[in-house]
Amino acid sequence: MRCCVPAELKGKKKGAYLPSISPNFTPSAPLHELAAPSLSPPYSQENLLNQTCEIESPEEEKLDGTTFKDISVHKKVVGGLLAVIGRDEETPSRKEVCYEPLGCFTDDAPWSGTLLRPISKLPWSPEKLNTRFLLYTREHPDSFEEIKATSPATISQSNFNASKITRFITHGFIDKGEENWLSDMCKNMLQVEDVNCICVDWKRGARCPYTQASNNIRVIGAEVAYFIDVLMTKYGYSPSMVHLIGHSLGAHLFGEAGKRRPGIGRITGLDPAQPYFQGTPIEVRLDKSDASFVDVIHTDMLPTIPYLGFGMSDPVGHLDFFPNGGETMPGCSKNAVSQIVDIDGIWEGTRDFMACNHLRSYKYYSDSILYPDGFLGYQCSAYSEFESGDCFPCPSNGCPKMGHYADQFKDRVTFGFTKLYLNTGDARVFARWRYKVSVTLSGKSSVRGYINIALYGSGGNTKQYQIFHGKLKPAQSYTELIDVEIDVGTVNKVKFLWNNNIINPTLPRLGASNIIVEDGKDGKVYNFCGSETVREEVLQTLTAC
Amino acid sequence: MEKLWVLLLLTFVLAETFANPRGLITNLDNGELCLQSVQCKSRCCHKNSLLGLARCMDKAAENQECSRKHLYGFYYRCPCEGGLNCDASWTIGGVITNTDYGICRDPKDSNARKEKN
Repeated sequence: MRCCVPAELKGKKKGAYLPSISPNFTPSAPLHELAAPSLSPPYSQENLLNQTCEIESPEEEKLDGTTFKDISVHKKVVGGLLAVIGRDEETPSRKEVCYEPLGCFTDDAPWSGTLLRPISKLPWSPEKLNTRFLLYTREHPDSFEEIKATSPATISQSNFNASKITRFITHGFIDKGEENWLSDMCKNMLQVEDVNCICVDWKRGARCPYTQASNNIRVIGAEVAYFIDVLMTKYGYSPSMVHLIGHSLGAHLFGEAGKRRPGIGRITGLDPAQPYFQGTPIEVRLDKSDASFVDVIHTDMLPTIPYLGFGMSDPVGHLDFFPNGGETMPGCSKNAVSQIVDIDGIWEGTRDFMACNHLRSYKYYSDSILYPDGFLGYQCSAYSEFESGDCFPCPSNGCPKMGHYADQFKDRVTFGFTKLYLNTGDARVFARWRYKVSVTLSGKSSVRGYINIALYGSGGNTKQYQIFHGKLKPAQSYTELIDVEIDVGTVNKVKFLWNNNIINPTLPRLGASNIIVEDGKDGKVYNFCGSETVREEVLQTLTAC
Repeated sequence: MEKLWVLLLLTFVLAETFANPRGLITNLDNGELCLQSVQCKSRCCHKNSLLGLARCMDKAAENQECSRKHLYGFYYRCPCEGGLNCDASWTIGGVITNTDYGICRDPKDSNARKEKN
């Protein structure tokens, strides 16, 4: 995987991005403490207040390649803006860095020095990270307008409309905010709704060692929170109209933002990153306490070691969706050449080659915008139970929708975690509609072979789906759940086909006497009857009875 | 004139072999690169244009566009699923250029329709 520190950041401009600070600034009260009541004892406000911002042995301290000396010189000049606090003899490594107006960031537990986060890194400065907010609107759908919280004039000059919902989208590790998937997601949204769609770009902070990137998101999360603060003060904008959509590390980034700016309407975590976050306390990672509604899509939840799964397996939101079980996605096990030489180009293919399962989460989300009921999540305790049909069909008040329309189920979230399962397609369009089909066979002879069923309805007809493969016995029923590629609507006929793939001299005939189709969406049951039998590879049409 | 055709055909063949990374194995899934339909589980190796890359794809369902089964090895429109006929008009040009497209129909349904008429 590509990962490097941008060359221009390596040696140059040491200390140049040190922030200026107002005299009344207190580094001892980080903003996020206000929103996170359950902080661990060493991180409480009292402890920090007791600390004096003293600097010891500046020559020995190293801070992210920048010698500490530079900072201490600067610090003397500005007067205590950048505090590196040696806590005591046992934990001499504790450091803190402060950036006005965002607050202070320590490398103390739980941020570092724990079993789950062994390598300690301090986040980079906002200047070094160069976070950008790229606005797409219906007036400006094809190119972005860059807006800045630090100069609110850029917001008022842009097409930002304070009466509309604002959706922020951000990327993860190594990725960038100008990447096509972010703007494509905005374009999909602008097709169905009039919103302010803001892509948050932090590529400088994302293209560095993972341990650094996973700490950089703390500063960027604070910047997003600050951006929302500016919207609040400038436009009286309610944070409940803000929706944050983050992929991978970006999910935790928005978790941080939500923690610092309480009252955010919704956060969507698209396969939140696993290393450095899974199992950590809630102030480190995305959690359901970060917004009034948090929905998560898990697509790559196998352990990072040894399976290289990048996404979290723990449920962390109000609604947690596990499409295809959440571990391996269909269409992601192609051979290397086929994966890289993708229909959407070599770049898209290379991305999928590196992290196909992980990237599926935003593809599902993007599709869900255009197919509102193509991603129904069935509440179930495990994927195997979902597969065997134990959680079929949807309850009478409907299934939550994975992706864009998950917030329609906002009012029905329970105290615990809600695990939702569904299956998707293997390529775009990923939307699928689930049906349960039971076939009762008729005929005289029993043969080995398979049964195919195709559904015909007001919305069109599906391809043939295999219901069963094995010994076909007359009068026996075979039941299977299928995920079909179109919304059939009202089912008005069914076609049945069987085949055994070998030449059988007895010329057997089989038919379906009865087929029951159950729609997963509303539990509607359709009954179809047939009286004839057919030879293999001949379609039998069954009509309602 | 003949030489020109041979040359043209040769360039196409070369372009094909170099442009097409090989679908290395048989029993390929949908979306994997292929050269011949027999490589695919679905038995349809589909491409969009003559110089495009071919990938395995599902066979055409009823009422979808299709081509008749033939020995070219790849299709611009996949042949139909079991029990269906590709209702295509037959032209010599279409057969040569592999562009004899039709619509998948259930032969039983079309029989019923004929009886009605």
